Amino acid sequence: MKRILNLSMLIMISSSLISAEIILQNPNLDEQAPFFSGINSYGEKINLSDFIGQPVILEWTNHECPYVAKHYSESNMQDVQKIAQDEGFVWLSIISSTPGDQGHVDKATANALTKSRNAYPTHVLLDESGEIGMKYGAKTTPHMYMIDSNGILKYKGAIDDVGRGMKFFSASFKDAVNYVATQLDDLKNNKQLPISSTVAYGCSVKYNYD
Amino acid sequence: MKNILLSCTLLLSSLILANPVETGHAKASLITNLQSLDQESFYVGVRLEMQDGWHTYWENPGDSGSPFEAKWSTDPGVIVENVQWPTPVTIPYPPLMTFGYEGDIVFPFQIFRSQETNLDAISVDFDFLICADICIPETASLSLDLTSISPEKILDSQIEVLPKKFIPTKSSVEGDNLVVSFETNKSFLNAYLFPRQDNYFTYSQTQKLEEVSDGSYKILIPLIDNDLESFSGILSLDGEGFQVEEQLLSGGGMSLWQAILFALIGGLILNLMPCVFPVISLKVLSFVSMGGDDHAKIRNHALVFVGGVMSTFLSIASALMILRSSGAMIGWGYQLQSPVVVGILTLIMLGIGLILLTNINLASSLTTLGNDAQSRNDYSGSFFTGVLAVVVASPCTAPFMGAAVGYALLQPSFATLPIFLSLGLGFAGPYLILAVKPEWISALPKPGAWMETLKQFFAFPMIATALWLMWVFMVQTSGDALIQLLILGLCLGAAIWMIATFVGRWKWIGLVGTVMLSLQVFNNLPSPSELQTDTYATNWSTTIEKDLQANNQAYLINFTAAWCITCQTNDKAALARPRVKEFLSDKNIQYIKADWTNRNEDIAFGLAKYNRTGIPLYIFWKPGMNESKILPAVLTEDLLIRNMQ
Repeated sequence: MKRILNLSMLIMISSSLISAEIILQNPNLDEQAPFFSGINSYGEKINLSDFIGQPVILEWTNHECPYVAKHYSESNMQDVQKIAQDEGFVWLSIISSTPGDQGHVDKATANALTKSRNAYPTHVLLDESGEIGMKYGAKTTPHMYMIDSNGILKYKGAIDDVGRGMKFFSASFKDAVNYVATQLDDLKNNKQLPISSTVAYGCSVKYNYD
Repeated sequence: MKNILLSCTLLLSSLILANPVETGHAKASLITNLQSLDQESFYVGVRLEMQDGWHTYWENPGDSGSPFEAKWSTDPGVIVENVQWPTPVTIPYPPLMTFGYEGDIVFPFQIFRSQETNLDAISVDFDFLICADICIPETASLSLDLTSISPEKILDSQIEVLPKKFIPTKSSVEGDNLVVSFETNKSFLNAYLFPRQDNYFTYSQTQKLEEVSDGSYKILIPLIDNDLESFSGILSLDGEGFQVEEQLLSGGGMSLWQAILFALIGGLILNLMPCVFPVISLKVLSFVSMGGDDHAKIRNHALVFVGGVMSTFLSIASALMILRSSGAMIGWGYQLQSPVVVGILTLIMLGIGLILLTNINLASSLTTLGNDAQSRNDYSGSFFTGVLAVVVASPCTAPFMGAAVGYALLQPSFATLPIFLSLGLGFAGPYLILAVKPEWISALPKPGAWMETLKQFFAFPMIATALWLMWVFMVQTSGDALIQLLILGLCLGAAIWMIATFVGRWKWIGLVGTVMLSLQVFNNLPSPSELQTDTYATNWSTTIEKDLQANNQAYLINFTAAWCITCQTNDKAALARPRVKEFLSDKNIQYIKADWTNRNEDIAFGLAKYNRTGIPLYIFWKPGMNESKILPAVLTEDLLIRNMQ
């Protein structure tokens, strides 16, 4: 009898865990960017606080997502990464895909992708649990965040104004306004960004939802 | 991975013109409901039969994804409208939420063509994002030969269930939620509101549904940003979709407190209306003549007057609530829909005007003019002045109080009453202040001969109001009936003159004579006749909107009434102007007049569809619009034309 009771208790607890809603956070602009630490593609622990004094760009990515694929195959993302690196920005590419899902990679594959795609991230973070992604409310790949040298969140949203819609796949990035590239100087000078929030577009971040 | 490769190969093969085509994870085909080649309007649909577990997106895809894009090639003279989106479903990928379609879905596009154009083939490049766990952009180049077609039943059945109907809602931002209230007698288990805007809502959080009372519901949509000014979307009740569109007032919809406040201010402003001002001013004059020293008397008279005003408003509110509970469709101003009421009001206005011109002090009459010794102790006089003030205010309040009273009538009784009381309190406000601070009366000029002159002057706004009411009466009835009303007015004038001039027996003989003459005229009053309308306006009917939309005929509906001053002003300032008429005929916009001068249940119901109980209301629609649009209540030529571009 006691065992049955215990068992039913256990079922109740676990079912309440399952039904609990997982809600993405939505960090406020002009406030301290949520702190996080994660493991990079070399197995090192990286803290956001390591970079105080430097402006930081966060890029959510998934190399198999058709949106990300187009940004990389046309060297759109890498060009911005290169400028950012030259200007002394920290660029963190974050992969929040859960193991077994699209875009999830091991350390070696992550490094191979950086090399083969000619990318310039300061670090690639492997966020298998999705913890960092949920803290920032990352919904799509790509989804971009800009943090100034004081650790204040200044921008969240899309990489550019091409936006949702199938026109993306035939659009040329030459005609696009890149919200990150065009606002790097203002971010560096700790100025208010003219455009601080846009609707991110792309594939969904492949969180662990089962 | 293998899947992706496979789909890429299929993607290439699908570029060959065909119908249907396999795009990788769906079968796409172009279908139509065209029945004969001379139809001017018909539909084509892009049908996607998606594999199990795959979905595509609604116009707002939610947290990720993309709506499709269709590039049509047609002959010139053939116009393909925007897609009419079917009701979407939620496709959750916690913690994300997306909106779209699964399984077998048809996207209908309406086609217009002129008779001169020959129908030939129609083709589309249909690019869409199809997703399971992963997303793949796929494309279908489809072509349909319209000269040898067979109408597809599935297209008609999908058009049938499109979310075309509009559900009236009331919305407000409350904390972190948008609260949308709606009423339906349909029973359902699940409700979900799909918002079209893409940066205001947290899609992944559950929308809470509450049943407020029988058939009336509230749905809470979590907000990211509560600066929401307007929103539109589709409300799905167990998959049956309804269009929702709303403008939110700053800080949300009108709350009960706001309505009470508006009613209070509205009541206060009523004191300045041309039909009320003389009555009210005379009351003030009576206070003045009481002198600045007898404060207790002024206080009592003011309080009794306030009592008269409040009890009249209370009676009106009760009458309205009883009428409403008996199921009558009523709106504010309804009392002016009866020619008898309008006729009586005309005579009251005329009578007051005439009395003001004579030197009668009808101590026992409804108006206590006050500069008379008898009336000083006559509290019933003060009370009935209050009643009279509300009664004569009625024609002026009708168009003026629309918003607050309209709101009150849509509310449950517990809210109706405070709004009406607040209206009365605002109306009686100045006297309430006088009751509290009677010494302030001394701020007014000293009594004297000027009071008599002013009193006589006030006759003219009263007679002007009477003239306007006569015109309303004429529109409601006929010129013959108006003459009869005017004869009654003449009798009234004669009676007042006799009271003022004669003494003793002759006064009474004269009075009885005029009353008998009046009764004779009254018995011959005709019943309201059919209305005549502008030659260029079509008459409104309950199904007119549906019919015109089905015929793709653009239209402008003017809900109006002779007793609605705002409506008349708009008619003069905008609708009747040659430029507007020209614009309407150039753009082939049918002009429809819904005349509510006389009581009409159908029109009241028509208004209720737009969540209104009062007028003016202007509705515009043209082909391509999902829902007809409500135009501003105060119109100018430019504003009207701009709104119909």
